[in-house]
Amino acid sequence: MNWQVLNVLIGGIATLAIFSFLIKENSVYRFFEHVFIGIAAGLGVVLSIKEFFWPNVLVPMLGLDILTFPDGTTSHPYNSGYLLYLIPMLVGLLYYFIFSSKYSWLAKIVIGISLGASAGISFKGFFAETIPQLTSSFKPLIVIANGSTDWLASFSNCVFVFTLVSVMVYFLFSFKSESKTISKISVSGRYLMMVCFGAFFGSTVMARMALLVERLDFLINSWVPAITKFF
Amino acid sequence: MKIDLYNIDRRLIYLLVTIAIALPLCFEVSMPPARMKSAELAFKAVDELANDAKNIAFVALDYGPNTFAETGTQTEVIVEHLLRKRIPFALFSIYPQSEPFLNSIPESKAKALMHEMPGQTWEYGKDWINLGYRPAGGLLLQAIPKSEDLGKLFKNDAFGTPLSQLAAFKNVKTLEDIGFLAQFTSLTGTFSSYIQFFQKPGYRPLFVHGCTSITVPEAYIYMDSGQIVGLLEGIAGAAWYSELLRERYPERSIDKARKVNTGLGIAHLVIIALIVMGNLMGLFNQKLRT
Repeated sequence: MNWQVLNVLIGGIATLAIFSFLIKENSVYRFFEHVFIGIAAGLGVVLSIKEFFWPNVLVPMLGLDILTFPDGTTSHPYNSGYLLYLIPMLVGLLYYFIFSSKYSWLAKIVIGISLGASAGISFKGFFAETIPQLTSSFKPLIVIANGSTDWLASFSNCVFVFTLVSVMVYFLFSFKSESKTISKISVSGRYLMMVCFGAFFGSTVMARMALLVERLDFLINSWVPAITKFF
Repeated sequence: MKIDLYNIDRRLIYLLVTIAIALPLCFEVSMPPARMKSAELAFKAVDELANDAKNIAFVALDYGPNTFAETGTQTEVIVEHLLRKRIPFALFSIYPQSEPFLNSIPESKAKALMHEMPGQTWEYGKDWINLGYRPAGGLLLQAIPKSEDLGKLFKNDAFGTPLSQLAAFKNVKTLEDIGFLAQFTSLTGTFSSYIQFFQKPGYRPLFVHGCTSITVPEAYIYMDSGQIVGLLEGIAGAAWYSELLRERYPERSIDKARKVNTGLGIAHLVIIALIVMGNLMGLFNQKLRT
């Protein structure tokens, strides 16, 4: 039995164990759930060390990538600039002072740096992401293409603009409006959001079903043949 | 025997849905998928890519096995298209759980193509490279547009080979050398990071996104604003992309995307039937009471 068959066999057993929750809560399901959570958590740590921290930080910093030839020459000189990596590493380690009641203020330095950096990045990212969307929302209500009116595109743009305005009106909580027109627009905004939520719910069902179909395909077309081969 | 439809055992419904989906999978029934315009635009974007020796495509896999049914299938069709067009590409990820797929998907696709076209070869290093999982994804995505030498930024591939030794990455220096970006994820936050940072003033690579069905309504807005040029909407998008590949390359066999999409269609029919039945029963019982 090769590794590939074993992989399929374990995958099938794990899938069935998780599906067993549909019948009722049981210890087999619990066991595999914990295995999955453990693997997911451990994988991130291992890969961060294996694929980033070791080859990109520790290896150059400790000079492990320098080859020494038989004549005593080296592949490249040691770059002491890599030692500067120690500064952010030490600053990062301050986070562990969160467990000390006396020195927990040191952890706040790291938290402050993280918060500041995140806020700055988010600020920049917000504009890069949102401004193109804002500009694209200014759509012509009547679309002229090749000298004639494109009625379908015009209708589509009208629906878009009406939806945008009505939903924004619905979320206008700063002042109370007595106008019946405004309240009707607000109500239509609510209904349009219901349509949107329906689409969200429908697409959620679709995604979940796709996962089920793929798992069943795996069980029927990979796992069952592997089992028959095994026995 | 009296069946209480208000308190029907949910396990019966699970069983019904499972049987309905399993039958077409057992008998390998497959139906042609519906046309998806956004997937068609994604296909067009890849199809029109110039086979320029300087340019490389980036393929970002940011998903785990939990959404492989959708995002994995999408990756397979785009990777296959890139391989068929001989456009070199670099796979990478900022999500640890996708690390195994960075290797398995291009390898299996290259193997299938070599089986389909004996005499032709696709090689690692020349046709594709694996940059591996990269932690601190947000920072990496910001560093890419600023970098003057992407080879120095990424340094090595996932197997420790310096990028300067890999033919596919030899001429890649700046963001402008990345002509195309395909990103697959079920996480809207990760997708947003690419939208926000994978660009520089005056240049953004052609960006195609593959998402799960859950996040389709959120992804559409980026199509409308032109921030992405194509979108694969869940398995339906992958299935239509696969169909377009079959039209372009008739010798291509039916793949997983179409099979899963057929099963999904049947699952939808069963669910719709159950919803209609449930509502009719509700109405009927209400009338009986009054």
